[in-house]
Amino acid sequence: MALLDMSQVSMRFGGLTAVKDFNLQLHPGEIVGLIGPNGAGKTTVFNMITGVYKPSAGTIRFNGNEIGGMRPDLITQQGIARTFQNIRLFKELTVLENVLIANHLHLASNFMEAILKLPRYRREEAAMREKSLKLLERLGLLEHQNDKASSLPYGLQRRLEIARALATEPKLLLLDEPAAGMNPKEAADLTVFIKEIRDEFDLTILLIEHHMDVVMTICDRIYVLVYGTMIASGEPAEIQSNQQVIEAYLGVDEDAENQ
Amino acid sequence: MRRNTILTAIALLLLIGFIAVADNFFDLYIVRILNLCAIYTILGLSMNLINGFTGLFSLGHAGFMAVGAYVTALLTIPPDVKKQIFYMTPIMSPLDVMNLPFPLALLGGGLLTAFVAYLIGAPALKLKGDYLAIATLGFGEIIRVIFTNTQSITNGALGLKGIPNTTNLWWSFGTALFTLVVIASLINSSYGRALMAIREDEVAAESMGIHLAKHKNLSFIIGAFFAGIGGGLLGNLLGTIDPKMFTFTLTFNILLIIVLGGMGSLSGSVISAFVVTIANEWLRFLDEQINLGFVVIQGKVGTRMVVFSVLLMVVVLFYRHGLMGNRELTWDSLLNSKIWRGISARWRKTAVAEGGEK
Repeated sequence: MALLDMSQVSMRFGGLTAVKDFNLQLHPGEIVGLIGPNGAGKTTVFNMITGVYKPSAGTIRFNGNEIGGMRPDLITQQGIARTFQNIRLFKELTVLENVLIANHLHLASNFMEAILKLPRYRREEAAMREKSLKLLERLGLLEHQNDKASSLPYGLQRRLEIARALATEPKLLLLDEPAAGMNPKEAADLTVFIKEIRDEFDLTILLIEHHMDVVMTICDRIYVLVYGTMIASGEPAEIQSNQQVIEAYLGVDEDAENQ
Repeated sequence: MRRNTILTAIALLLLIGFIAVADNFFDLYIVRILNLCAIYTILGLSMNLINGFTGLFSLGHAGFMAVGAYVTALLTIPPDVKKQIFYMTPIMSPLDVMNLPFPLALLGGGLLTAFVAYLIGAPALKLKGDYLAIATLGFGEIIRVIFTNTQSITNGALGLKGIPNTTNLWWSFGTALFTLVVIASLINSSYGRALMAIREDEVAAESMGIHLAKHKNLSFIIGAFFAGIGGGLLGNLLGTIDPKMFTFTLTFNILLIIVLGGMGSLSGSVISAFVVTIANEWLRFLDEQINLGFVVIQGKVGTRMVVFSVLLMVVVLFYRHGLMGNRELTWDSLLNSKIWRGISARWRKTAVAEGGEK
C-alpha cells in the first residue's frame, strides 16, 4: 500500500489554479523527485501535504488516513516533516534548541509538570536532550550546538533544517530544494547524505529540486509538474528522454515546429 | 553549579534582610515606591512572557489588571464598608457578604483574570501582529467601560474605596519573586522553547508539530493570571481604585518597561521595572516650577512622561534590543563580566601587596 496517496488533488486561489488534478503515490523507502519550472506549483503540493493549504478538491491519504486540510501540527504528529525552500530556522535560538523544539510534539507532560519540574518531565527532558545531541552528532553539528542558528554558514543551516525535521521522527520527509545554492561538490555530498538518512532513519523522501544531477542520481521516480499539471512521471531515464519534459524545460524551438 | 546555588541563597537572604530593614525603618514614601517597583516587576514579567517570549503583540494588560484589582478588592473590603461605598446603587447580593483572606482573594483575582483572558484569547489570538494589538487594546478598553457601567458590582465611576492596605513589602516582593521563578521555569522548559519558536517563526513552529492555538493561549492566560495578581496587589496597596486608573497609559508604562529592559529578557524586565518606577518618582521635579536663574518654567503635570517618550524613541531607533536584549543576567555571566573581573583582579593585587608587606 502506498504511504502517501494523493488523488485528483487541486488547489485554487480565487481564479488561479495552482495545481490541477494532481496524482502521486509514494511507497515506503522510495526517494521521489518533484521537478518543474519555477511557479509550476511544486511548493504548493508540499503545502497541501503538510496542511498549510487545504486542497480545493481531491484526497490526500497518509498511511490510509485522510490528511487533506488537517492542522499542520497534527500532520507532523502523524509522521510527515519538511524543510523549507527559504530556510526557516528559529534564528535567535541555538542549534540545540532548534532540534529540541522539534521534540516538543512527543512531550507527554503538561505545562504544570514542566513548570514544577516534576519527575516525569525531568525524565522526558533528559531523554529529549540525549536524543537531540545524538542526532546533532550524527549530522556533524555537535560542535555548533550552542551557536545561534543564524550564525551558522548556509550549508550547515540547510543541514540543521534537516536535523530539525528528523527530530520529529517522521516516516515521510519532504525536502524543498535541499541543494539550492550549493556547488557541484556540495550537491554530490548531499545526494550521499540523503541516501544515508533514508536508510538510517527508515524514511520515504519526496524532494523538490532544480539540480538535475542530484535529482537524476538519487530519485527512484520523478514527477514533472508544469503550470500545475503533471505532464510526466516515471524513472529518471524515462523522464530525461521525454519530449514534453524537454520542451517544458528548454522551450519549444519554433522554427522546428513550423517545419 | 554548587557555587551558583550558594550565591542564590546568599542573594535571597540579603533580599529578606533588606525587606525586613525597609519594612521597619524606611519612611512610608520610599516603602510605597519599593512596593510599586515590585508590582511593576510582576506586570513587566507577565507582559514580557506574552510579548517578548511568545511574540504576541498584546496591549490588554491594563484590562487584565483591572479585573484582578476589582476582584481582589471586592473580596477583601469588609461587608460593612461595602455598604457605605455603594451608596448610589446597593451592591449585588452574593458580593455584599463575600469576604476572603488576602491571599485567597489575590488568587481568585488571578484566576478570574486568566478566565477572562481565555475568553478574549479564543477569538483574538487568531489575529497576528498589529491586528492582535488593536484587538487586545480594544478588549482592555471594553473591560474598563464595562466596569464603569456595572454600578451594582464595581460601583461604576465612583470606584472602590476603603480597600484594606494589606499589600506590604513582604507581599509585593514575595509575589514578584514567585512570578519570576514560575515564568523563568516555564521559559526554561520545553513549553518555553515552543513559545519562543512561535515568536521566531510561526509557520516553521507549526510544521514542527507545535499546536499554535494551544501554546499561544497558554502564554496569554499565564501572562494574564500574573497581570491580575499584580492588579490585585496594586489595588490593595493604594486603597482606592476606579476605572480611570486602568486606561491605555498604564499598558504603555508596562510596555515601556519591557522594551527598555529588552523583549525576551526576564532580568531586563526586573531591572527596568525598578529603574522606570524610581525614575518616574525622581523626575517629579520636572512637573513642578523650575527656576533656571534667568528664566522660570511653569511646571505642568505630566512633563516627566516626555522624558520616557523620548527615551523610548531613542531605544527603538538606535538600541533595538533594549538593556539586555534577549540575554539573561546569571551568576555565570555576572562573574565573567569585565567589571567583576576588574574588581576581583584589583582585590587580588592588593591582597598580594599586603601579604608582601607583612
